[in-house]
Amino acid sequence: MNVSVQHSLALKSRIGAARVGIGGPVGSGKTALIERLIPCFSRRGVSLAVVTNDLVTAEDANRIRRSGLIDPNRVAAVEAGACPHTVIREDPTLNIAAADDLEARFPDVELILIESGGDNLASTFSLDLVDWWMFVIDVAGGDDIPRKNGPGLIKCDLLIINKTDLAPHVGVDLGRMEREAGEARNGKPLSFTNCRHQKGIEEVADRLMSEVLFR
Amino acid sequence: MISRDKILRTFQHADSQFPSGAFAFSQGLEAFSQQQDRLGKFDLWNFLYAQIVHRWASSERIAIIRAHRLNSDLDALADLDAEVEASTISEPLRVGSRRNGMGLLTTHERIGTPYAKAYRGMVRDGKALGHVAVVQGFLWNALEIEEDGAVLMSGYQSAASLTTAAVRLGLVGAIDAQAYLTKILPVIAQVSCSPVSENEPLRAFIPLSEIAISLHGATGQRLFSN
Ligand SMILES: Nc1nc2c(ncn2[C@@H]2O[C@H](COP(=O)(O)OP(=O)(O)OP(=O)(O)O)[C@@H](O)[C@H]2O)c(=O)[nH]1
Ligand SMILES: [Mg+2]
Repeated sequence: MNVSVQHSLALKSRIGAARVGIGGPVGSGKTALIERLIPCFSRRGVSLAVVTNDLVTAEDANRIRRSGLIDPNRVAAVEAGACPHTVIREDPTLNIAAADDLEARFPDVELILIESGGDNLASTFSLDLVDWWMFVIDVAGGDDIPRKNGPGLIKCDLLIINKTDLAPHVGVDLGRMEREAGEARNGKPLSFTNCRHQKGIEEVADRLMSEVLFR
Repeated sequence: MISRDKILRTFQHADSQFPSGAFAFSQGLEAFSQQQDRLGKFDLWNFLYAQIVHRWASSERIAIIRAHRLNSDLDALADLDAEVEASTISEPLRVGSRRNGMGLLTTHERIGTPYAKAYRGMVRDGKALGHVAVVQGFLWNALEIEEDGAVLMSGYQSAASLTTAAVRLGLVGAIDAQAYLTKILPVIAQVSCSPVSENEPLRAFIPLSEIAISLHGATGQRLFSN
């Protein structure tokens, strides 16, 4: 039996919702981005579900459930066993099972957003788990972050630089950050967002519509 | 002599790198170690010994052997699954075992292990529960790993996943953890010798650790699923 051939066939033949990962350091705004994206997708008529990987509590899942923006049953929490990178990369089975379960319970679901627990710049998503993924950093982490060449920041399909409203307060030059991130990523796309004041969110949703949902 | 192929296959499936979700469960270790003010001093060796002798040997090991002997009779496996459910009193342990079993089935379905897809379908349709010991027993049988081998793999994994969790919780250093493993392996070897009859009942009860688990849910501060 040729296991590897069968494996790649199994992946290609998976039907169901598109799965999108959202990774990035602790506190960069991953949950805030999801909260902003939910109404965007609802306006666009996209049926959505969310999986969170909270590090210590079910806080992010509960925050999204309580937001009133989405049916709370469409939000699943997966515990990361102190290993936020393991649960999205080395062993994504609990996340795959959670996404499969959401699909089974909500057959109309088209898009599942999977938030990683806060981690460091080296965290990346396994393509066993997601079809496409974003990495969220924030301006307050410093404008030298893109120069640090973390695998998460380089390999993701879309880099999000969030909290642009804070740039003047932390002395960050956004133009320089954009240039250096572009160089580190060899021209792969990046977006600036300000989740506090809802800036840049529609552009992110547009990109997901065209690159992931093909609409 | 066991064939080299089979030894290598055993390594592959005993390795903690094999994705199964097991890393997210501590079987009460996190809970117990954090409730010392209420439950008394925590001792890793005592915990490990109790888990292996009073839970693994008399419950998971039996489930694995019985699942292995059912030779991929999926309906009979579902009945055994229900027996595991009924004999696991603590809810977090019960739910954890099902999620871990589903995690293991997920990987096996994708790599095409015989019967994995069919049984995973039964679990998703509510026709089976998918407890990890049952899933291990029948999948490892389907992979032609002998009963003895399957038992030892499970015993090793149970102990190693506890020592790894202890390292992640900061209870013991990574090197020290190997000393605990070295000490528990002969215990595993010894308890795995006792014969298992056809309908051997499943028994597991470690009162203090189950109390710790039930208190744990309420604290809201946890890294592990149980
Ligand atoms: N000023 C400002 N604050 C923001 C922005 N986005 C998020 N925040 C705040 O940053 C803090 C962290 O945001 P979260 O969305 O919880 O970050 P996270 O990445 O999900 O955090 P973890 O899940 O804990 O890793 C919260 O207090 C947010 O209100 C933004 O664009 N501007
Ligand atoms: Mg979050």
